[in-house]
Amino acid sequence: MRVSLEWLKDYVDIDLDPQELAERLTMAGTAVEGVERLGGGLEGLLVGRVLEVRPHPDADRLSVCKVDFGGQGVEIVCGAPNVRPGMLAPVAPPGVRLPDGSAIGEVTIRGVSSHGMLLSERELGISDEAAGIMELEGDLEPGASLARALEIEDTVLVLEITPNRPDCLCMLGIAREVSALTGAPLRKPSFVLREIDPPAAEDVLVEILDPDLCSRYCARLIEGLTIGASPWWMRRRLRAAGVRPINNVVDITNYVMLELGQPLHAFDYELVTDGHIIVRRASAGERMVTLDGVERALSTDELLICDPKGPVALAGVMGGEHTEINAGTTRVLLESAHFDPANIMRTSRTLGLSSEASYRFERGVDPSGCARAADRAAFLMDELAGGKVRRGVVDARAREISSSRLTLRVERAARFIGIPLREQDARAILESLELKVKESRCGEQGTVLEVEVPTFRPDLEREIDLVEEIARIYGYDRVPSTLPSSAHKVGMLTPGQKCRREAARVLAGLGLSEAVTVSFISERWLDRLDPSRAVFPEDPVRLRNPLSEDGAVLRPSLLPGLLEALRFNVNRRLSDVSLFEMGRAFLPLAGEAQPREPLLVACAMTGNWVPKQWDGAAQPVDFFTVKGVLERLAAALHVPGLTLVREELPFLHPSQSCRVRVGEASAGYLGLLHPRVCDEVDLPRNTAVMEIEFAPLEEAREEPYYREVPRHPALHMDLAVVVGEEVDAEELEEAIREAGGELLYEVRLFDLYRGEQLGEGKKSLAFNLVFCAMDRTLTDEEARKYFDRIVKALGAGFGARLRA
Amino acid sequence: MTSDETRGDDPGMREIELLREEAEAALAGAGSSADLEEARVNLLGRKGRLTALLQGIKDLPPDKKRMVGMQANLLKDWLEKALEERGEELRRRELDAELRAEKVDVTLPGRHLPFGTRHLVSAIIEEIEDIFIGMGYRVAEGPEVELDYYNFEALNTPHWHPSKSLQDTFYVDASASGREDVLLRTHTSPVQIRVMEATTPPLYVIAPGKAYRHDVPDATHSPMFHQVEGLAVDEGITLGDLKGTLEHFARRMFGEDRAVRFRPHFFPFTEPSAEVDVSCVICGGEGCRVCKGTGWLEILGAGMVDPNVFGYVGYDTEKFSGFAFGMGVERIAMLKYGIPDIRYLFDNDLRFLAQF
Repeated sequence: MRVSLEWLKDYVDIDLDPQELAERLTMAGTAVEGVERLGGGLEGLLVGRVLEVRPHPDADRLSVCKVDFGGQGVEIVCGAPNVRPGMLAPVAPPGVRLPDGSAIGEVTIRGVSSHGMLLSERELGISDEAAGIMELEGDLEPGASLARALEIEDTVLVLEITPNRPDCLCMLGIAREVSALTGAPLRKPSFVLREIDPPAAEDVLVEILDPDLCSRYCARLIEGLTIGASPWWMRRRLRAAGVRPINNVVDITNYVMLELGQPLHAFDYELVTDGHIIVRRASAGERMVTLDGVERALSTDELLICDPKGPVALAGVMGGEHTEINAGTTRVLLESAHFDPANIMRTSRTLGLSSEASYRFERGVDPSGCARAADRAAFLMDELAGGKVRRGVVDARAREISSSRLTLRVERAARFIGIPLREQDARAILESLELKVKESRCGEQGTVLEVEVPTFRPDLEREIDLVEEIARIYGYDRVPSTLPSSAHKVGMLTPGQKCRREAARVLAGLGLSEAVTVSFISERWLDRLDPSRAVFPEDPVRLRNPLSEDGAVLRPSLLPGLLEALRFNVNRRLSDVSLFEMGRAFLPLAGEAQPREPLLVACAMTGNWVPKQWDGAAQPVDFFTVKGVLERLAAALHVPGLTLVREELPFLHPSQSCRVRVGEASAGYLGLLHPRVCDEVDLPRNTAVMEIEFAPLEEAREEPYYREVPRHPALHMDLAVVVGEEVDAEELEEAIREAGGELLYEVRLFDLYRGEQLGEGKKSLAFNLVFCAMDRTLTDEEARKYFDRIVKALGAGFGARLRA
Repeated sequence: MTSDETRGDDPGMREIELLREEAEAALAGAGSSADLEEARVNLLGRKGRLTALLQGIKDLPPDKKRMVGMQANLLKDWLEKALEERGEELRRRELDAELRAEKVDVTLPGRHLPFGTRHLVSAIIEEIEDIFIGMGYRVAEGPEVELDYYNFEALNTPHWHPSKSLQDTFYVDASASGREDVLLRTHTSPVQIRVMEATTPPLYVIAPGKAYRHDVPDATHSPMFHQVEGLAVDEGITLGDLKGTLEHFARRMFGEDRAVRFRPHFFPFTEPSAEVDVSCVICGGEGCRVCKGTGWLEILGAGMVDPNVFGYVGYDTEKFSGFAFGMGVERIAMLKYGIPDIRYLFDNDLRFLAQF
């Protein structure tokens, strides 16, 4: 909402400068988004009187004017068709600049010298009107400052009005706020309306057929109008408010809407059949052409203003083209009504059509103000357009309008806000907003005020709404800052939340950077990774109204997002990328409205794990890189029961693909991305991924418990065995542990070797074994005994032989 | 008795004197530990000359035995000590030379060690969590796919509210369950309702998480973003408590010298409501492009929990009051670190991620 301060001062005196006023309004809930100064750039421009006009001796379209702008008349060559002797017009004397920056000099036009320029509104930068020079009105002195004469120097506050405050969508409402904040009295527009007989009701009939959508419809009849331009002051104010002037009658309806907040509509009475207004829902498929020239198909959700022949306006949104005010209009049927806010909002949204009127009706217009606004507009039509106002308002009411009453417990309000508040303070604030304190009583609850709420404040429905008004006008900035005094506060993270933080820290510490990817993905990703939907749900969670098909599915896995992030980097020549993400996935639950949203942690790595360095080779990412990440993570989180089991997943390399298990349950997967997928999505073949669900991991955590650290020297022995390729390292290690018994403290595989001398299908695995006893120093013989026992067990179990 | 006389007197004594002179020269002349060792062997070795002299003492006449024996032993003691000292010095010098030969270019880059970063959004959420944990809050969570009831209705949002439209809210296809009221939460506020349904006051919680709005991505809009919601319900909570809490938060988050202001505003689920501004992190309040000349940056929305909301969860509005607040994590990140485009946060470009 744009508020001209020049206009606002009609209703309230303002001593503050515009910045201070903006600050006060902002701090009372009416945010000022901008302060615009109007009329800048007119310095040096003057009011001129055209004394004589004669044709240019050498150009048909030009005339030579003698213009007085203080002093002797000077000659100015002008091309405007509307220039005539006696008129007042803006002049730019030589040497000044126009608002667009161009300089005016003395020029000779086809042999006649021109000492200045007569200006159009467009040249002044105040409108797009360029057909002729601007005609000034009123009793102006030639040579006077144009800016002052036009009263165009003004400041406009651009306000953000919150949706709960429809009363602030007009000058009077803003003036009321200013009055409440500064204490300056509010001046409502006062006027005396002259009416003529016979009463309007003899020629106007209003019927409301759908009272649920229209509670009141006031109509007035004004005759004898002459359509023309509005006076300058009104056009100026409309423009300052951002409304384009059209003609006097239409301008008056807009002006009164801006002044009082009540949208009005003027019909050409002659075009409304029988002067009969019928307010009803559209019938299905009914059509009408609105003022903007668009034919609209309607449904029974839309409310229409009709005459007996058909629609004349889309109620509360836009008038009809057929009954529009035109140059020949002399009689006007003026509408001032109240429509259901929700219905207007729906209509406006459905049709994609909004207007100053619909904007106000959506938020709620004061139903008590209809007749007064009609009177005000009728008065101005009399004053400014020669109208004769027929007696009376035709006032159709679907129901009675009553103001509501609320109670306010003063001490409670004070406690709730946290301020000292006396009864008279509360009363003064409420009354400054035109709320009437009807009664005050003292009882068990302290001081209780009975407050009557005016109908222009539909947002005040409960005691808390009054408390808000008190706090707002009192000033939030004056409320002392405190902290809740309760002792019932124990701030902490749950063990699960701590575990997640730890996991993220561990992964970052291992060299993976955390990514955050968008939760919706393209379904193509699922087709690509898992065409037969062996892993991901066949019917993933879908959006009904995605922004595009690329984001139509809620991710069942973090993998698509991470792979896209890898590709984003690889495409930018960042070839070594290791990312992880922690976030929710969405898995449909049969029969449930909401999906399951497991928290997942996923990693995706490609390129080199360690880049080529000045004294070392690069270490490319492979299966064991990501396996190492998982092992570190499990160790750091104290999840001992985590295992990998071979399982072919459709998007993983068939021989480097594992299921991650916690205990017996699956928690996710890990492996090298299938080369087919790598090729399809343009990623290097050495891309490794893992994804695990957090909950089972969290549940399987075990608090570490002290395990004795050996105090006696340990014996280190290396064991290298040759086995068939089919033997798993893990099996061997388990067998070693079993055979090694209690004295075997640690086993670590440190070498894997394949070579001709071992023979086809054979490999050698070397383990470092650490033997020790907790109560004594082991002898070589003792350790050797267990070593031999291990060798024997491996031989028996796996055909292993010691490597020579 | 002079040494000349001593030397002149006795060939034994003269030899001792000679050996001493030789030893002194050998010690001084030894350029390395090896030279020194050679000198030692030469004098004190099994076949060394001093060793031989000492072995010959027993054959001397008794009157010389004492004098020569004493002098020879003195020489031996002195020599052993001198060898040790000189050896120490040579070893030190040799080690030093050795180390100097091991010169490296210390300006070469350090060994590559794994290095990853937390995402800025996560880091800020943790920072916010920690500030509120310090004030006695716990961290709550709720589903991202929500029901209209939790996202709108129980938060006192009228059924016709424009934010519910298909142009503003993502709806989830739940036709299999026969429902049309399933959506991606448009804010983290539904967690308020879920927490209040599950617990009784007093409660102090914050709820970080993702939220979604049907916005085409541009520099300041992303269809997915993160919020942190806060809720405190207790006996006697005041608007002043809300102010104090958020001022504390804003100063911890943006700097102790930040000014904080509360402007009345409107939200359906709080009353009275406020928008909270901090003095601009760029210009400090002078007015600049970032704060659009106002000197203030809006960082969160807040208010006292609307009694209607308490009505939905069955809290006694006469007994309890509370406040709630919500803030956009990306907005805070962008303001604090001068990030010009929200989309950069979700590109996951390593060159971006590595900066924070």
